[in-house]
Amino acid sequence: MQFKDQLNFVSQHIKKNKLRVFMTILAATMGTAFLIILASVGFGIQDTLKKEILDNRLVTQVEVHSADLDKEKADKMKKLDHVKAVVLRQEVNAFQTTTLDKYTSPSSLLISDFSEEKKAGFALEKGRLPKGKYEVVVGHDFAENLMNEEEVEKFQSQQQANESNEEEQIVPELPHYEGELLGKEITYEIGSFETGESYKEPIKLTIVGIAKAPSKDFISDGNLYADASLIPEMEAIYDRHKPEESEASLFYSNLNVYADELQNVKGITTTLKDDGYSVYSISEELEQIDVFFLALKAGLIFVGTIAILISSIGIFNTMTMAVTERTREIGVMKALGAKPKLIQRLFLLESAWIGIIGTLIAVILSYAISILANYILPLVVGAALGEENFGELNVTFSIIPWQLVVIASAISIGVAMISGWRPARKATQIDVIDALRREL
Amino acid sequence: MIHVEHIQHSFKIGKKGKERPVPVLKDLSFEVKKGSIISIVGRSGSGKSTLLHIMAGFLKPESGQITVNGTVTSKFTETQSAEFRLEQFGFIFQNFQLMPGLTTFENIELPLKLKGVTKAERTKQVEQLVQHVGLKEVQDHYPNELSGGQQQRVSIARALITNPPIIFADEPTGSLDSETEQEILALIRSLNESRGITFVIITHDDEVASIADEIYQMHDGVLKAGGIHHAI
Ligand SMILES: Nc1ncnc2c1ncn2[C@@H]1O[C@H](COP(=O)(O)OP(=O)(O)OP(=O)(O)O)[C@@H](O)[C@H]1O
Ligand SMILES: [Mg+2]
Repeated sequence: MQFKDQLNFVSQHIKKNKLRVFMTILAATMGTAFLIILASVGFGIQDTLKKEILDNRLVTQVEVHSADLDKEKADKMKKLDHVKAVVLRQEVNAFQTTTLDKYTSPSSLLISDFSEEKKAGFALEKGRLPKGKYEVVVGHDFAENLMNEEEVEKFQSQQQANESNEEEQIVPELPHYEGELLGKEITYEIGSFETGESYKEPIKLTIVGIAKAPSKDFISDGNLYADASLIPEMEAIYDRHKPEESEASLFYSNLNVYADELQNVKGITTTLKDDGYSVYSISEELEQIDVFFLALKAGLIFVGTIAILISSIGIFNTMTMAVTERTREIGVMKALGAKPKLIQRLFLLESAWIGIIGTLIAVILSYAISILANYILPLVVGAALGEENFGELNVTFSIIPWQLVVIASAISIGVAMISGWRPARKATQIDVIDALRREL
Repeated sequence: MIHVEHIQHSFKIGKKGKERPVPVLKDLSFEVKKGSIISIVGRSGSGKSTLLHIMAGFLKPESGQITVNGTVTSKFTETQSAEFRLEQFGFIFQNFQLMPGLTTFENIELPLKLKGVTKAERTKQVEQLVQHVGLKEVQDHYPNELSGGQQQRVSIARALITNPPIIFADEPTGSLDSETEQEILALIRSLNESRGITFVIITHDDEVASIADEIYQMHDGVLKAGGIHHAI
């Protein structure tokens, strides 16, 4: 029998039992759509979470922690594959204060290699990079940290007076240095953490550049950046003042390796780990999230599959009834010379058809529900929380990737065919003589 | 053409575990010659239909052998048997056994569909045959819109459409009035003469048996040649 004729045969039978087949398809559709929607929530939340993570951090950065990081080790790391830059920063382990006119700031000084910093994405908004020993670049928000005690106090008392009258809760910006920074001379001092006093050995530094704002507006950069030439002078000051018994050094290192692309972060992370460094990168976090969500999605698909299995009972019933109803016709077909294989195929086709149509409708329906949910749910949740800009959080509730469609379709159509299997077998086993003896 | 040799068959009767065999066919042997009409007559329950079922391959005999055109058919698997039927046999049943959901045309077309003949070829062949057996006017009728005689014509056309060398008929006129019976018998005769088709007809009607070249009497599972034989 030609395949076209087989399909014809099947569709004729389906047409004869429209309502019954419709109800069966409905059940299959509901089961499959349930699975897709359920699992799509897993995909949606995973996506939202990952986006959140990737948005808020330097994704290609690999943090390396180790007791003694030095230039030599950094140079070795530079030679690894896919490493774009290795930034070794020396941070000052002391009380620090910076003064400009009558303004002071507790800004930290970072000693770094500017050529590597540049490769890692460090950029200036104004000015140039330091060339001489006493030249520094200041962070974008440096000025905001430069404050005058008197001004601040005056401002705060004023503010308190206002607050009693007004209900508004706008946090006011404290007064700070507003003038030009470029070319200005600042005084940098280190001191003791214990006393909170400086050692009174100021170093005069000149601001030659202002760094670009950090990519996220909630990160503020008020640091000072200088190069390694400043180290000896600072260490000399420190040595003169530090307590006798102290063995702590003034600087501690902080090393970040930057990969050329996100996908290479994992490789670099593994290599560094194998070399004995303690490493942290986003790939670790992403991996953990992936593992967690893989388990979650598998669980959701499992629960969804139960719904499909329930709907498969409907298919089993429908097909069993179809076989029983058509016993005489099957007998006649067999008598005329239809092979058992053909009879089986015709019934499998019918259950597959129910499965395919059910799945098709389910996929379309799921996409519609998914889109609707992503549109409506944020509004509903936002309204419930009373937050107007909840939508800005960019939460995706449901995502249906093609893989999910493939998995769900395979499960749904597979289950449909399995549930059609026994009825189809039963059809092949119909005895011709018995069947012919039946009344019309 | 068909050689039936030492066929024996019995059915198991009774509840599960306490079945006892009831012999229905007892060592039957006979031969059907090519192009002949043979008729098997006998009382109800004598085993006529059982014999036909065995010859057609619906049922496997307990022992004995059937040979059709030199092929031993009694050892066939179900699939082989189906293939063989599609090529070699046509069937006419007492209650016609038409597909209620198919029109006259489609019912006749069915065996060609099973054979995998293309739509165009099928249409051509069915149209010719429908004309030939006088069903042109009712080709779009469903079985329940046809008279008994018309239904049996459809069933004969369905048996003929694949051009089989052998047609088995079990009580072909059993549910028809005598006038219609005559029509059907005339059709069978003419097909036998014009196309040389071999007919094996089971009946308990002497009238039907009268068109046969040879008549066999079935009695308690034993077949005897002879019986009433009318020359035409
Ligand atoms: N499936 C079966 N199981 C048990 N016994 C059976 C079965 N089929 C037929 N028989 C028995 O076999 C015997 C022969 O039956 P069969 O149908 O061949 O008779 P028949 O000659 O065709 O009768 P009729 O003229 O009424 O059609 C009967 O006694 C019947 O009871
Ligand atoms: Mg009978």
